[in-house]
Amino acid sequence: MNPEQLTIERVQEILLKEKYVCDRALATVVYLSVIMGKPLLLEGEAGVGKTEIAKVLAKVLGAKLIRLQCYEGLDSNTALYEWNYPKQMLRIKLEEVEHGDKEKVETEIFTQEYLIRRPLLEAIQTDGATPPVLLIDEIDRADMEFEAFLLEVLSDFQITIPELGTIAAKHRPYVFLTSNRTREIHDALKRRCLYHWIEYPSFEKEYEIITTKFPEVETKMARQICAFMQKVREMNFYKRPGVAETLDWASALIALNRRNLDDKTVVETMGCVFKYREDLHHLREQMEARQLNLDALLRASPEMVS
Amino acid sequence: MEITQETVAAAVNSVTSARGKGTLPNLMAFARALKQLGVKVSLSQVIDASRSADLVDIAEKSDFRAVLRSNLILQKEDFPTFDMLFDSFWREQSYERMPMETMDIQGTPTESQSLEGGDEEGGLEEAAIESIPKENVPLENLDEFSVPTYSPQELMNRKDFSEMGVEESRAIARAILLIATKIATQISRRKKIGRKGSTVDPRWTMRRSMKYGGEIIDLVHRKRRIKKTRVVLLCDVSGSMDCYSRFLIQFMYGLQNELWGVETFVFSTSLSRITHLIRTKDIANALEKISGSILGWSGGTNIGRSLHTFNRNFAPSIVTHRTVVVIISDGWDRGDVSLLEREMQDIKRRCKKIIWLNPLLASENYEPLCKGMQAALPYLDLFLSVHNVNSLVTLGRTLEKMVA
Repeated sequence: MNPEQLTIERVQEILLKEKYVCDRALATVVYLSVIMGKPLLLEGEAGVGKTEIAKVLAKVLGAKLIRLQCYEGLDSNTALYEWNYPKQMLRIKLEEVEHGDKEKVETEIFTQEYLIRRPLLEAIQTDGATPPVLLIDEIDRADMEFEAFLLEVLSDFQITIPELGTIAAKHRPYVFLTSNRTREIHDALKRRCLYHWIEYPSFEKEYEIITTKFPEVETKMARQICAFMQKVREMNFYKRPGVAETLDWASALIALNRRNLDDKTVVETMGCVFKYREDLHHLREQMEARQLNLDALLRASPEMVS
Repeated sequence: MEITQETVAAAVNSVTSARGKGTLPNLMAFARALKQLGVKVSLSQVIDASRSADLVDIAEKSDFRAVLRSNLILQKEDFPTFDMLFDSFWREQSYERMPMETMDIQGTPTESQSLEGGDEEGGLEEAAIESIPKENVPLENLDEFSVPTYSPQELMNRKDFSEMGVEESRAIARAILLIATKIATQISRRKKIGRKGSTVDPRWTMRRSMKYGGEIIDLVHRKRRIKKTRVVLLCDVSGSMDCYSRFLIQFMYGLQNELWGVETFVFSTSLSRITHLIRTKDIANALEKISGSILGWSGGTNIGRSLHTFNRNFAPSIVTHRTVVVIISDGWDRGDVSLLEREMQDIKRRCKKIIWLNPLLASENYEPLCKGMQAALPYLDLFLSVHNVNSLVTLGRTLEKMVA
C-alpha cells in the first residue's frame, strides 16, 4: 500500500479490511500523521484500541512494526542502542593472544558490528521501501528523563552515537505514541505530536466492531452484549471494561455456542469483563436487585440495521 | 476561566481584525482566540495545522475540525472549548464559501460593530492587539499574547487572593518546599551507578575494565536512587474552609511546582481538576486563574459526591499503589455520609497512604464529631492539622518519618 495514494476514506476502508472499525475523526488524524510524518499521540481509557491501530496500520502499509513498551526506569540503553560489551571483550582478548594491531582494534570494536540496536535506533536505521511503524506504547509509564530524550529523537529523527557520529533516518518512521494518562505528558512532547482522544465506542460503533470481528455472531446477542457494555460503563465499577473486554466476552460466548444472553450466562462468563472481585460482587448484586435487566436494556437499545 | 458563549464570542470578535485571506492568517487568528480562552497553542502547531489543512478537503467541516483539533489541542479537557470556538469562529461566514479564501470581514457593518465591542471587552488584550499590524501578523508575536484571566461573566463568588503579603507567602513557600519534598520522594527501583551498593552492574563493570585490557579490577555497583512519587491533592475550597484558602493554594502550588507527579483537585459541591491551571511558575497569575475558574468557590460542601467524581473519572488512571492522597478539608459535609464512607474506602484500596489535613484540629477542644469526618476517620493513615506554617513543618517531619 503506497502512502501517497491515501485519502481519509481509504484509511477507513483499509483499516476496516483488517477489522479495525474507526470513526472519521480518527481516520483523519491517522491520515495526517502518515502524510505529514508527524507522530500521533493517542490517549484514552484502557482497552479502547490505542495500540491496536498501530499494529493494524503496520500490517496494511506492509511496514515493519517496531514496538517500544515503556516502563518505569526505561533508559537510553534499552531504548536506543548499547555497545555489545562481551563481544568487544572477546575481540580484545583474541587480539591479545594474536598480538594484533592495537589501533585497529580500537577503531573496529566501535563499529556497527558491535552495536546492539534497540527499538528507536532500529526505527531510524531501517532500510527498505516502506518506513517502519514505531509504536511507543504507554509513554506515561516511562519517566520524565525518557520523555526528554524522546523529544530529541522525535523532532529530528536522528540519533547521535559519540563513537560513530550522527545517524539520521532515511525515511521518517510512522510514529504512534499511546498513553493511559496515569500522568500528564509534557507539553513539549505533545506539541510535536498530533493528538487524539479515543472515546469508549457508542452503541452503534461497538455493534459494528463486534459484527466485524465475529461475523458469525447472532444479531440479537451482539445487540445484547453492546447494550450491556454501554450500561456497565455508566455504572459505578472499579474498572470500567473497554472494547478489548467486549471482544473477549463475545469470543467466549461464541466458543460456548451461546446464541442469546440470559442472567445465568452473564454471571457465568463475567470473568471476561470484570477482573476485580469487588466488581464481580457488585455486578451480582446489581443483577439480583434487577438494576441490570437484560430485556430492558435490549428494548432500550437502538435498532440496528445489518 | 469559565467558558461561555459570551466569552467565546468576545474572543472571536477580538481577533476579527487579524483575520485575512488564506489559511495561515485565519488559523493564527483562531489560535489567538484559543489563547484568549486559556488554551495554549504554539506557533509550530499553527503552522502544522495549516499544512494539515492543505492535505484534506476543508469543505468537509467535520474533517476540518478533526484536523485543527488534532494539531492545536493537546488535552481532552480542552475539547469543549475548542468545539465552541470552532463553531463560533467558522460560522461568521457561511462555511460553504470557504473561510480560508474569502474571510474579508472588516467591510461589513455588523462586523465592525462587534469589532468595537470586542475591543472594549478585550481590556488586557488591547495592547497586544494594537501592537500588531492588522495585515500580515508577524509570526513571532503569536507566542506573546497575554491571556486575559478576568471574566466579567462569572456569576459565582470569586475570591481575590492577590493581596497575599510577600513575606508571608515566602515563609509559607519555604515550609511547603520541605513538605513537598518529603511527601514526594520515595526510594524507587531505578538504580544509580555507584561504588557502593547492593548489586553489581555487569555492563559498567565490563566497560570500566576495558581500560585495563579487559581485566576486571573495579566492580561497579548500582544503588537505589531517590525517585518521586505521585501525590494527589484534594482540596476543599467551600465556605467553611474559606479562611484557610490561602494556605491551601500555597500548598497546592508548592507541591505542584516542585515536583512533577502532583495532581491537584479542588472541590466544594463538585470537583474540578486544576493541575493544568497552576502549572505556571507565576503564582500571582495562577491564583487569579484559579479563583476565576472554580465554580462554587466558598459555597457549600459535598465531599462524598466530589470524591465519587474523583474515583470515577480520575482515580483509575491517576491513583496507584505509590500514590499518597492528601485531602484537605474540615469534614463539614452536607451530602450523603454513607456515600462519603464508600468513596473513602475506594480510595483507600487504590492508594498508598491517605492523609487528611484538618485546620480545625488545631483548636484545643476540637473533636472530629461532624458526621463526615467520623465517616472518613477509619480510612485515614494520618490525621493532621494545617492551620499555620508551624503545622506545615510538623506535617513535613511526620511525613519524613513515614516515608523513610
